[in-house]
Amino acid sequence: MILRRLAHLIAVLFFVTLFVAMLTNLLPGDPVNSIAGFAPEEQKEAVRADLGLDDPVYVQYGRWVTNFATGDLGNYYSVTGGRPVMDRVRDSLPVSLQLIVEAQVLALVFAIPLGVVTAYRAGSRFDKWANAGAFGGLAVPNFALALVLAYYVGVVLGWLPVSGYVAPSEDLGEHLRRMALPAISLAVGQIAAYMRLLRSDMIATLQEDYITMAKSKGISPARVLWRHALRPSSLTLLTVAGLNVGVLIGGAVIVEVIFSLPGMGTLLFEAIQARQFVALQSLVAIIAIGYVLINFLVDVLYGVLDPRIRHGRA
Amino acid sequence: MRPTALLLALGLVAAACSGGGDDDGGGGAAGDEDTDAEEGTPTPGGRVVYGLEAETIDGWCLPEAQLAIGGIQVASAIYDTLTRPNAEGEYEPWLAESVEPNDDFTQWTITIREGITFHDGSELTAEVVKNNLDAYRGQYPPRQPQLFIFTFFNIESVEVVDPLTVQVNTVEPWVAFDAYLYGDGRVGMMAQAQLDDAENCATNLIGTGPFVLENWTPNQSFVASKNPNYWATDAEGNQLPYLDEIEYRPIVEVAQRQNALVSGEINAMHTSDPETIAELRDRAEAGEIGAYETTDFGEVGYVMLNVSQPPFDNILARQAVAHSYDFEEFNAILGAGILTQATGPFAPGSVGHLEDTGFPTYDPEEAERLVQEYEAETGRPLSFTYTTTDAQATVEQGQFLQQKAAEVGIEVDLVTVDQSTQIDLAINGEFEAIGWRNHPGGDPDRQFVWWESAGGDPPNPINFGRFDDQEIDQLLNQGRVTADEAEREQIYEDLNRRFAEQVYNVWISYSIWIVATAPDVHGVPGEGPTGPEPFPGLSTVGHQPEYMWVEQ
Repeated sequence: MILRRLAHLIAVLFFVTLFVAMLTNLLPGDPVNSIAGFAPEEQKEAVRADLGLDDPVYVQYGRWVTNFATGDLGNYYSVTGGRPVMDRVRDSLPVSLQLIVEAQVLALVFAIPLGVVTAYRAGSRFDKWANAGAFGGLAVPNFALALVLAYYVGVVLGWLPVSGYVAPSEDLGEHLRRMALPAISLAVGQIAAYMRLLRSDMIATLQEDYITMAKSKGISPARVLWRHALRPSSLTLLTVAGLNVGVLIGGAVIVEVIFSLPGMGTLLFEAIQARQFVALQSLVAIIAIGYVLINFLVDVLYGVLDPRIRHGRA
Repeated sequence: MRPTALLLALGLVAAACSGGGDDDGGGGAAGDEDTDAEEGTPTPGGRVVYGLEAETIDGWCLPEAQLAIGGIQVASAIYDTLTRPNAEGEYEPWLAESVEPNDDFTQWTITIREGITFHDGSELTAEVVKNNLDAYRGQYPPRQPQLFIFTFFNIESVEVVDPLTVQVNTVEPWVAFDAYLYGDGRVGMMAQAQLDDAENCATNLIGTGPFVLENWTPNQSFVASKNPNYWATDAEGNQLPYLDEIEYRPIVEVAQRQNALVSGEINAMHTSDPETIAELRDRAEAGEIGAYETTDFGEVGYVMLNVSQPPFDNILARQAVAHSYDFEEFNAILGAGILTQATGPFAPGSVGHLEDTGFPTYDPEEAERLVQEYEAETGRPLSFTYTTTDAQATVEQGQFLQQKAAEVGIEVDLVTVDQSTQIDLAINGEFEAIGWRNHPGGDPDRQFVWWESAGGDPPNPINFGRFDDQEIDQLLNQGRVTADEAEREQIYEDLNRRFAEQVYNVWISYSIWIVATAPDVHGVPGEGPTGPEPFPGLSTVGHQPEYMWVEQ
């Protein structure tokens, strides 16, 4: 299975990076004009030669792949000189990972209890209110929520800071305070989606024979719910949580810009704005690797969560 | 820019016509009439965290850097320029002790102050100044400037006369050379070590300025501490800078920048966004914040027309578009009602500024008539493509233009691109009409490079509108060599009227900039180079951070 997954990972990376390479080459205009628009023609030619922009797309792509595979992510190019993309990634990747993990944890911490309780009390007033709230959460775009939260929680109430980043190693408390609003902005939509998924799976699970058996043995409802029903009901949730990393990355681009977080989203935004094609390809590849790896882990976790899958494979 | 963000060229912000102007047309405290004198005596110490509109991602290797206002603001903390503008917009020596021309303005002698050291302890000498000037004009091989080559093309040679004196010889007489030594705050003097740093010129910042770089984390913060050996004092003789430390934080989203100020996370910020300025004015009036705003010496937002190709090679088309633009409605809908209509490139305060240049005003009937005349003359309908950046504000401005043009029978195809592409299209002339903002005040001769005929000898690649106008060339050349103030005023007013008559651009509004601060932060815009009265402009120039102070 691991070999199949690895092949899958390589195929996804190949197509994603090739697509980005082709797309950036299709953009109108000359990237040299973005880098050295007002430079004399000789200087522009030197930049063009340095970047190999006169080479066919496949040659440019091949060169990038070779470099990327050896850990060279390329340079942010300017007339002032190239600065390694890796230097920026080293600073930015942890920020984005922290944001995504914190948003995901926040989403699951709220969604799982809500999903379990609403499934157990399906049709109750609480269930209806929770569902209505979930629809509301799904309907609000994260950037709009970010601005509203920043104003009301940050400015009017003054509870949390509205911008800037502090590393957890520097001050964990301050880090969490600064990441709270961005993480909540990303998490609200996820909470709603996860809760709805878990609720419907739990309702189906609670009708299974082994649950009836457990109940008839006198096992407490809480134990039945949390011990016997939750695990097999979590497979869809886990899959979606893995897939949603892509959504979180997309949301992070906007949320990082809004909250001035120096993460991969900000870096990506910057590379697109300045048409730093090599940097852009490398950043997209890193994100794609992360995405595929997470989904690979999700596949592995299936077996851990559901003995039927583990035993079936065996 | 910005978002930030923003790829910005020297003296140019292609953020489209989102500029504005304050309704009093001049600089001053918003909301009340506070001045520093009324605010109290500056006290040394403290820290300011300053929210910038964008990060300067390419750094500060000044001859090569592409600095927008955020970048200039940071540069002014680290570097000094040889001259600075005073309250009237005239240039006086700053890092230089004197900057004197000969009788015919073909030779400028720069005498630098004695005993000034850079942050690395090296001395400011005539040799270092010469190397800096050579770097800006592309004659110092390690450095590869772009736009500065055009702006300094009139320098023939730079010579060291003695350890503290540099002589600059010009190709043609150059009356406004002292303005170029300021270069809207971009022509700072770097230490020899930075000039020669092949790898890290953009990040190894060594100036003589009031603050010394501590650390810079792109997109996060730029921290600089007080230069204990700073050479300058204020008008009262007090040592500058007042602050112990200044931190610049890029906060691209303007609403968030304001939120950060109001919630106390930062204690200073700048913006040119009309909606935000209107809100900051209200807060200033309520006493929640301090604010200084101005349109003086500002940039102008406009629709730049490519006159080298149809339809705008025909003046009827240009006039029709100008007459179709309802500024009052634009200001009410998209300008928060605070903008001032521009009728030419020179903002209030600038030499050559005129309240009325004769530029076509909103007149839909006349616009319709011109459209019909154009169609009769050319045999084709009047239509064009308007290119603008993909920011929400500039797209809305494009939609407004499209709607007003449609009302008089002009079809406008709206194309949105990222800012890099927009500049790229302008350079290559691949546009019909494009949203633009440029031409900050100071000496009007600084605009020479943008307007000299595109088809001249040699051709001017940065006359993006590609007009060839001998009258404009003549006026630009006269302005460059004329020293008499009244005559210069007349020359640039004539230039302004020529632009209005030929409608090479559709002028929209003068940009308005505001610096908002926490109530206990003072010292904006600071002082002038030789007296307490400061230069009032903020557009692209920013203000001097060494005068900022915090109540202790």
